[in-house]
Amino acid sequence: MRSLTRSLSLAAALALAGLLSAGAAAAQAPGSGAGVVQCAKCHADRDFLAANTTRPGQDTALFVPPDALHGSAHDTLACTDCHRGFEAGFPHRASRMVVPCETCHEQEGKDYDASIHARNAAREGDAPTCVGCHGSHAVLGPDDPDSPTYPLNVAGLCGRCHGDPAIIGRYFNGPGAEQARIAARAFPKSVHGIALTRDGLVVSATCSDCHRAHLVLPADSPRSSVNRANIPETCGSCHAGVERVFEASAHGRDYPEQPGVAEGHDKPVCVDCHTSHQIVRADQPAWQVSTVARCGSCHEKLYETYFDTYHGQVTRLGFDLTAKCSDCHTAHDMRPATDPKSSVFAANLVSTCGQCHERANANFVKYYAHGDPTERTQYPRLYWPWLFMTFLLAAVMTFFVIHSVLWMVRVAINRGRRVGGDHETGSRGPEDREGGR
Amino acid sequence: MTEDRSLDAAARGRGPYIRRFTPFQRTLHILVIISFLGLVATGLPLRFAYAPWATDVMRFLGGPVAAGLIHRLCAIITFGYFLAHLVNVSWRIFRKGERHLLWGPDSMVPSLKDLRDLVQMFRWFFGKAPHPRFERFSYMEKFDYWAVFWGVAIIGTSGLFLWFPTFFARFLPGWVFNIASIVHGDEALLATSFIFTIHFFNVHLRPEKFPIDTVIFTGRATAEYMEEEHGLEVERLRRQGRLEERVIEPASRAAYLWSLAVGFTAVGIGTVLIVLVLWAVLLR
Repeated sequence: MRSLTRSLSLAAALALAGLLSAGAAAAQAPGSGAGVVQCAKCHADRDFLAANTTRPGQDTALFVPPDALHGSAHDTLACTDCHRGFEAGFPHRASRMVVPCETCHEQEGKDYDASIHARNAAREGDAPTCVGCHGSHAVLGPDDPDSPTYPLNVAGLCGRCHGDPAIIGRYFNGPGAEQARIAARAFPKSVHGIALTRDGLVVSATCSDCHRAHLVLPADSPRSSVNRANIPETCGSCHAGVERVFEASAHGRDYPEQPGVAEGHDKPVCVDCHTSHQIVRADQPAWQVSTVARCGSCHEKLYETYFDTYHGQVTRLGFDLTAKCSDCHTAHDMRPATDPKSSVFAANLVSTCGQCHERANANFVKYYAHGDPTERTQYPRLYWPWLFMTFLLAAVMTFFVIHSVLWMVRVAINRGRRVGGDHETGSRGPEDREGGR
Repeated sequence: MTEDRSLDAAARGRGPYIRRFTPFQRTLHILVIISFLGLVATGLPLRFAYAPWATDVMRFLGGPVAAGLIHRLCAIITFGYFLAHLVNVSWRIFRKGERHLLWGPDSMVPSLKDLRDLVQMFRWFFGKAPHPRFERFSYMEKFDYWAVFWGVAIIGTSGLFLWFPTFFARFLPGWVFNIASIVHGDEALLATSFIFTIHFFNVHLRPEKFPIDTVIFTGRATAEYMEEEHGLEVERLRRQGRLEERVIEPASRAAYLWSLAVGFTAVGIGTVLIVLVLWAVLLR
């Protein structure tokens, strides 16, 4: 008897425990639990929704397939983890009481709240919120190829708005927003875009790698990852080797200020030479040629004198044959000629020039790659030959142009005289050669 | 001449044809034309790389590598005719004893008469004297000759420097290549400007000769032409009784047409090139 009672109570306890645990599981595990089953009773039933809603389209909006979260990052959540206040059963009232994503995704939420998207979402109502990019129920992580935030899909996701003329016209119509206006169009053709779309490289930079995923800020904001001050670091997060060299170069932050160099210009950052959305392979001839103008936009005098040389002339014609800025000065480690580490430091010139001019020697590198013959004090060796040649050219041409013009005039006068019937006598040869009196 | 409007100045007027240039001299001048046009066409796009036409011309020539090859090929032709001329003249002077090439009326060497002719020419321009009469070479032709002589020496030397810089850097400092670039480009521009305006005017385009003079191609011209252009030479030859030995039959029809074609082509290309120069210079 005693054992029977014990057995019964044990069975009851087990049954109770089983019930309790089943209930708990049901509350937390969607797809199989009672919570989803309960929500799904109505929200997965199209006929029921159609019969019990009044506004057109409301039934579709409220429809959630029973496996909506299945396989998503939120697979383990119950409906009521996000949609609070609906435990009371049917009929419940429509409510905006959605648990904010940042309840769990704390950092992302903070970043988003500080972003330009959050500000515009609040003010204008047409900027993306969490669900705008991540979707609502089937939220997939960025590693899932089906996710809109998968690296290969991000450009398309951002392009939905940033390729829309209405959005561009509203937010990016100011001067200096050219790169933003062309971003969606240009990026797929850039080296990063081609790597993503053609080569399928998930490690290639996409929108969110440079602009960040959540803390998206305009370039003029100091906190922005694409602010000038932050660009080397942003690009350097992938191009780490270049960043290190660049920051130590004359263009880099760590280099002491050089007096008189490119006055009135900021030191360039990556995008000043490479652009942001039109980046092409740096070994493309067309880009190599066009980059000279970018250097020249600050180094005006050097740019001018470069084109006085054969190097510059061929480059200006658009051909990639002769030395361009970076061939002598390097692409990222440019330094003034006074710096012993510079590729154009006197002791390094033989090896620098020798890249193209095999057998270049110490004599050879005494060539002035940027000589200006009109500068007498700086280049007296070039000034006098230049002055002589210029004078010779001007003198010879002036003299003979006068000679020819006078000749023409004389022949015209003589012919006019002949037509007028005033025939010369005593002159030798035809009328053209007549003398005066 | 008024009654005979032949297209070719050398074919206008009366008289038998008189020989003016030897086949050797005519051949050299053809080589001068071909190489000079080639050198100018391939050099101008570099010199005026900023001009709007420069890239198209360079593309038309096949790009800087092809243009460089054409330029060097024409340079070799230039050195060739220069050398051939020097050998020929030396041979004539020293082996055949034609000392009159150095001095005398036949010579290319400038003389006091050239200076007097120049002065008289200016007086003629202002109607104060008759037109000067010239010997075998007028002062303009002598200037043309020495301009080419000086030009080939200067442009040729500087061009060799730029062609073989590492060789010349064995014994010359690198800044000579800067000077070579300046001299090469400016002297070439002078030659281009001079040949395609002044030389063209003096020998083809001035009213007495317009539009062409083929004497350098056929090597002959009418006695009337020779009387007008080189009256003193004709007079001298007649006096010496040597005019008869210079009389030559007219050029064959084919040679004449060929000469016209070459002449007009060369003047045409030259005119296009000088227009490009002016375009670029005025744009600067």
